[in-house]
Amino acid sequence: MSVEAPYSEILKLFDALIVQVDSVTQYRIIGVVPSWYPSDISPGQSSIEPLEFVQKSFFLQCFLPEAEEFWQTHNQGTLPSGLWSEPNLVGDENYLEATALVQDDQRYLIIRSYQSELITLQPVLQKAREDHLAHRHERDAHKHQLAESEQIRDDVTAVLDHLELAMVMIDENNVVTYASPTVRHVFGIDTQRFVGRLWPHVLPLTAEHIRQVQEQRALPEGRRTSVVLSLKKPQKSWLEIEIEVHDDPRDCRRTILFLKDRTEIEDLRRQLIGQAHFEKLIGKSPAMQDLYQKIQEIAPVDVPVLIEGETGTGKELVAQALHRLSTRKGMPFVALNCAGLTDSLLGSQLFGHKRGSFTGAVSDHEGFFEAAEGGILFLDEIGDMPLTIQTTLLRVLQEGEIIRLGESRPRKVDVRVFAATHQNLQDMVDTGSFRSDLLYRIRVARLYLPPLRERREDIPLLSEAFFGQARAVTSKHDVREISPDAMQTLLQYHWPGNVRELKSTFEYALIHCHGPHIQSSDLPQEIHGSPAVFVSPRSSTRDEREEILAALEQTRGKRVLAAKLLGMSRSTFYRRLSELGISPEECSQ
Amino acid sequence: MKEKSVIQKKICMLGGFAVGKTSLVKRFVTGQFSEKYHTTIGVKIDQKSLCIDSTNVLLVLWDVYGEDDFQKVRASYLQGSAGYLLMVDGTRKETLDVARQLRTLALQTMGPVPYALVVNKHDLFESWQVEPEMYQDLASQACLVIESSAKTGEGVELAFVALAREMLKVSKI
Repeated sequence: MSVEAPYSEILKLFDALIVQVDSVTQYRIIGVVPSWYPSDISPGQSSIEPLEFVQKSFFLQCFLPEAEEFWQTHNQGTLPSGLWSEPNLVGDENYLEATALVQDDQRYLIIRSYQSELITLQPVLQKAREDHLAHRHERDAHKHQLAESEQIRDDVTAVLDHLELAMVMIDENNVVTYASPTVRHVFGIDTQRFVGRLWPHVLPLTAEHIRQVQEQRALPEGRRTSVVLSLKKPQKSWLEIEIEVHDDPRDCRRTILFLKDRTEIEDLRRQLIGQAHFEKLIGKSPAMQDLYQKIQEIAPVDVPVLIEGETGTGKELVAQALHRLSTRKGMPFVALNCAGLTDSLLGSQLFGHKRGSFTGAVSDHEGFFEAAEGGILFLDEIGDMPLTIQTTLLRVLQEGEIIRLGESRPRKVDVRVFAATHQNLQDMVDTGSFRSDLLYRIRVARLYLPPLRERREDIPLLSEAFFGQARAVTSKHDVREISPDAMQTLLQYHWPGNVRELKSTFEYALIHCHGPHIQSSDLPQEIHGSPAVFVSPRSSTRDEREEILAALEQTRGKRVLAAKLLGMSRSTFYRRLSELGISPEECSQ
Repeated sequence: MKEKSVIQKKICMLGGFAVGKTSLVKRFVTGQFSEKYHTTIGVKIDQKSLCIDSTNVLLVLWDVYGEDDFQKVRASYLQGSAGYLLMVDGTRKETLDVARQLRTLALQTMGPVPYALVVNKHDLFESWQVEPEMYQDLASQACLVIESSAKTGEGVELAFVALAREMLKVSKI
């Protein structure tokens, strides 16, 4: 259908195919047919049959019934088909849209090309979808990484938890970025709120502890040491914590604190120390454990005790331990060495004297028995006590009263007597130099202190203790430890002077030591010169018999000296003589 | 000799965006594949002639744009369809949800016509997020469930032919 010139030009601008639907059998074309519409419509053709019109478009074949229904059911309005493209019809890039229009019973079908609009719209949509896909891809990758990271974190956390290793990560601003679950177990506090807060505010440490940790953080990694601290827990128990300060290997501005609960270890260590120490005695050998046991049994029983052992074995320490564990703890402990004192002097010391009772007695004097009233009198080297004093002592022990020299009035005393000797009192009884009745009175309870050579396993423990003491005394704190070769030398020596000798050995070694370790060469000369024959384990009874006979020959039959040469106590030496069948004649040959 | 008649059948390609509908049609119609993603606007109509069990069939393939937040599928595109391929991207499990929505739309618009469930991008199987038990509901009503790859051509021909055969069977009943 031809239209007037101005309208015709306007329609051209719309670049649309406009068809007026006269009836279901006849379509009238308004204006010109656009070049993009493939049909057999010839220029100037004003009408066409519907089937012919849609025969080349599968889309219009589908849309036309829909449009016809719309025309029949509506008086006005539009029904758009939506965009479509038929490569076989209009090419890949040409998108069309059909619109069914009804207005005042006039029906139209308008087909427009959206090619030019889609040139701008399509890339936008394409970009939006590509971005969406890329974003999704990225999100998936991040989710995957996050899941992996979470898995690794969970694994590491599980391992840390299993190891009971508490860990806190701190950033450069002192803010906690991570706290392992074990932190909660260690401190008994909720760690959920740790992250994001300042570490000094969340860890239950004192200002001093915090200062120590900060001090370590300020040091280079290689120079840091652990901070060990004790924390008081609410339940009145103590927590022993060791804090290791490390740089985060990924970012040195961040810090990792490893918090190790050492409470159990410290408790066990204390138990071990407890087993290795008893009062001031040191030693964990079976002989010493046996001694500790006996001290605990004897101490509470209010009877005299005889302490036997070689010189330097620590007899007075045993007496002090007995005192502290006895019912007389808190009462006086008075010690007197009986060796080298004359009868009168020892008598005066023990029992006191009256003014003028002997030359020089210018005033009344209270003796040690009276001084020890209610407590303990420790009589060291009782084997050296003169017989006359032994007699008086026996009476005091029997009667519980003393008479000062120059007086006749007895004084009641309540004193428990501990006696000690390095001699064999039984031998002395046999030879008449010690009263048997006194012996029986003072050895109601007996304790034997083994010589050091009979408890060599205690040498390292004693050495560490004496090393520490000597280092403090000599102020040589740069000497850090005992070298293995020095320890080997100490272990091989037969220690005739026992523990006392070992103690003085360390004082000597510290004075002579110039390096960080005590070397064998720092030890006294005699320690190196110990004859191996007397310290090596005996291979057979025959060898021991020969050794004893050799020692007797060397000492010209003097048994005490022979025993000392062999590193044996006299009682052991005599017992071995008897067991090996060495007769007195053989001894003196 | 009398020329055999051709039966024309409309098949809609339905699925979320970028599941590979256009690529599947292109592979089926031209045997080609392009790695470049080219989004579809509206509907793109293609055709392919087949001979199925001695019946000449012209499949008119309506490659409907992928549904997403930007475009919702127009029900009018689906009208008159004899069947459809419901497509899922094996590497994106969320395309199963879109497939379920489109399946509902298809039922409302076309009725219970045959459809094939196509799980595409089998060439990226290592990256698949979709497991068979996740689409049992969709598979139970489908005439065919197939894992395909427009890139390799795996399962493409089979999906169309099997759906066409099912559509023919339904139309004879």
